[in-house]
Amino acid sequence: MKKNKTMIVTFLAPAVIMFAIIFIYPIIRTVAMSFFKIEGVTDPVSKWEFSGFANYIKLFNTQLFRISMWNIFRIWLLGGIIVMALALLFAVILTSGIRFKSTFRAIIYMPNVVSAVALATMWLQYVFSPKFGLFKSIGDFLHWEWLSKFQWLNPDHLFLALLVAYCFGMVGYHMLIFASGIERISTDYFEAATLDGANKIQQFRYITLPLLKGVLKTNITMWSVSSAGFFLWSQLFSMVVSNTQTITPVVYMYQNIFGAGNSMTERNSGIGAAVGVLLSICVVIIFVVCNKIFKDDDIEF
Amino acid sequence: MKKKILSALLCVTMVSAMLTGCGSGGDAPAASAPETEKEAAAETPDAETEAPADTAAENEGTASAGGKLVYWSMWDAAEPQAQAIAQSIEAFTAETGIEVDVQFKGRTGIREGLQPALDAGTNIDLFDEDIDRVNTTWGSYLLDLEDLAAANDYEATANAGLMAACREVAGGTLKSIPYQPNVFAYFYNMDIFEEAGVTAVPTTWDEFLDVCQKIKDAGYTPITNDNAYIASMFGYHMSRLIGEPATEEVVKNGDWDNEAVLKTAQAYEELASKGFFSDTIESNQWPAGQNTELAMGSAAMYLNGSWLPNEVKDIAGEDFHWGCFSYPAVEGGVDGTEASNYGAQVFAINAKSTNAEQAFQLITYLTKGEADKLLSDMSVGIPADSNNAEWPALLSNVKPVMESLSTRYPWGAGAEANADMTPIIVENFTKLCGGSLDAQGFVDALKAAGN
Repeated sequence: MKKNKTMIVTFLAPAVIMFAIIFIYPIIRTVAMSFFKIEGVTDPVSKWEFSGFANYIKLFNTQLFRISMWNIFRIWLLGGIIVMALALLFAVILTSGIRFKSTFRAIIYMPNVVSAVALATMWLQYVFSPKFGLFKSIGDFLHWEWLSKFQWLNPDHLFLALLVAYCFGMVGYHMLIFASGIERISTDYFEAATLDGANKIQQFRYITLPLLKGVLKTNITMWSVSSAGFFLWSQLFSMVVSNTQTITPVVYMYQNIFGAGNSMTERNSGIGAAVGVLLSICVVIIFVVCNKIFKDDDIEF
Repeated sequence: MKKKILSALLCVTMVSAMLTGCGSGGDAPAASAPETEKEAAAETPDAETEAPADTAAENEGTASAGGKLVYWSMWDAAEPQAQAIAQSIEAFTAETGIEVDVQFKGRTGIREGLQPALDAGTNIDLFDEDIDRVNTTWGSYLLDLEDLAAANDYEATANAGLMAACREVAGGTLKSIPYQPNVFAYFYNMDIFEEAGVTAVPTTWDEFLDVCQKIKDAGYTPITNDNAYIASMFGYHMSRLIGEPATEEVVKNGDWDNEAVLKTAQAYEELASKGFFSDTIESNQWPAGQNTELAMGSAAMYLNGSWLPNEVKDIAGEDFHWGCFSYPAVEGGVDGTEASNYGAQVFAINAKSTNAEQAFQLITYLTKGEADKLLSDMSVGIPADSNNAEWPALLSNVKPVMESLSTRYPWGAGAEANADMTPIIVENFTKLCGGSLDAQGFVDALKAAGN
């Protein structure tokens, strides 16, 4: 046993040391930084000015930060509902034995392969364009004035535009996870249900959905993680200067650490760290709630 | 037992190898760097422990080779500026025998990476970025260049105004050398002006309104803009009224009751109500306005930097005639057309550089004579060397404007001085220009944001 202990320690040590250096140390440092005023992100500790909860108080009193939290919440909730619903729908259709299954799957997954920069440019400069955009052309063709006149990119609708574009890109990824979950379910259940006279919708409601609970939890977790770090799309939808409709906490954090736009603005990495801490707390809350709602799989199949 | 000692040893080796390889692990403290890296650091005092592994390897190599200059550039390798600089550096090396390791980091690469790299002691001799960022954000890392400039008689052929600007932002001493000067003013389509019967550029607000009316009557959109630059119109108008320092105070302290705010809003409400803005100004996400309206010839004026003709040259075509005028003066205002945001990219030398003289030699080479001309030609930019009197044809009308300026505004004339307010100003000012918000509504929205 004693010999084993040495081996356990020897083999665990690398992983533990790496974990401590790469995860524990930055977490502790970030939490500590959030209580200081720090101009440059790599300033030595001797240059830090202790400020207590001032960073947190400033964040809660700043309208722009509150807006960014509201935006990320909207993206998470509305985007989550849209993406999960569409992904599940496509997954069910794809696994229902239609023809050209892999072609459709590839098409729906395609946006994940294309660079986000290219996708966002396509949406911003082409699809949503009020002059020659895809939606405008469709509106003109169908004589739907509400569609051809709709200003997707003005300050009132930019969030909607961002949501549509982002969800378009995310459906394929979550669809694949759902599809693999559905394919794991034995066809015996569906055959038996068909024999018993259950229609497709009933089969979905009473067989597919309950057995997909674990997969749904995985999907929501993945979605929450990617939403919390929402940065690139926000940047791409408001080039150079950020926008009230698209700013997210991570963008706000970036501005406080590296400065905003082309202007020389005040920098404080302490505020950036505080944003990080608050975001982490939000993510933990979401996970706890998710775990409460979707208790561990009690169905074995 | 032997086997176990061996495996334990292997484990330790593996861990140290991993740590060495992952030396770039973001927040990993320098103190935790393993022996191997410390030894490397001991050989080269400037070797870093935190910068990306690839540059680490390169720098260690360069330092031991001795004398090779390391230059971190703000340009992306594909940009014309980078191509011109790379070409000139090759010529410089051929001429002087000084080798240069130029690393094109791009805007964000420099902005995010330079300070951490300098803090970690990375071997960087010189770098470049915007005049304000270099001198303010990175001011404490810069070598004072007064002696080097005097010894090399640098200023004999330099742009005096920009050299003065460099001294001003560095607190009275020279810490950076300007190149690629730029000016932020109204850029316009001369053909539209001509067609509309406008014979002289507007210098006052009334003349400006008059010009807009003529252009509108001729069937064109007088003014367009994009989300990226629209706040500058607010900043310029405010600064014309009360000066830039006062504008910056208003923006930073949220003093939206200042009557200049309402006056500015009223002026723009008038422009909007007369239909002088593009119909789609609220939806213009950069670069939609500059590309599809100004460059395509449907809109006449755009408040932007002198980089604009270069950015849209492939769309606008060679026969596009660029005009330029400084933001008009307003009645009862503090500043006139002599004030504007102008500046440059600047080179600076790392205070810790051991090759400062060679670095200055390179800077001199790049900002003068043939190299300066090459950069100006390839990037349709303004030359830095006063002997290069001939500006690129697209910018020939910018020269008188640049030469008429004496007061320097920082970026956006103060409108973007408060990062917490910029998006809110942009949103509401955009609505004001689009006509969906009136002047009082604009002021109220800004006031509400302070709560």
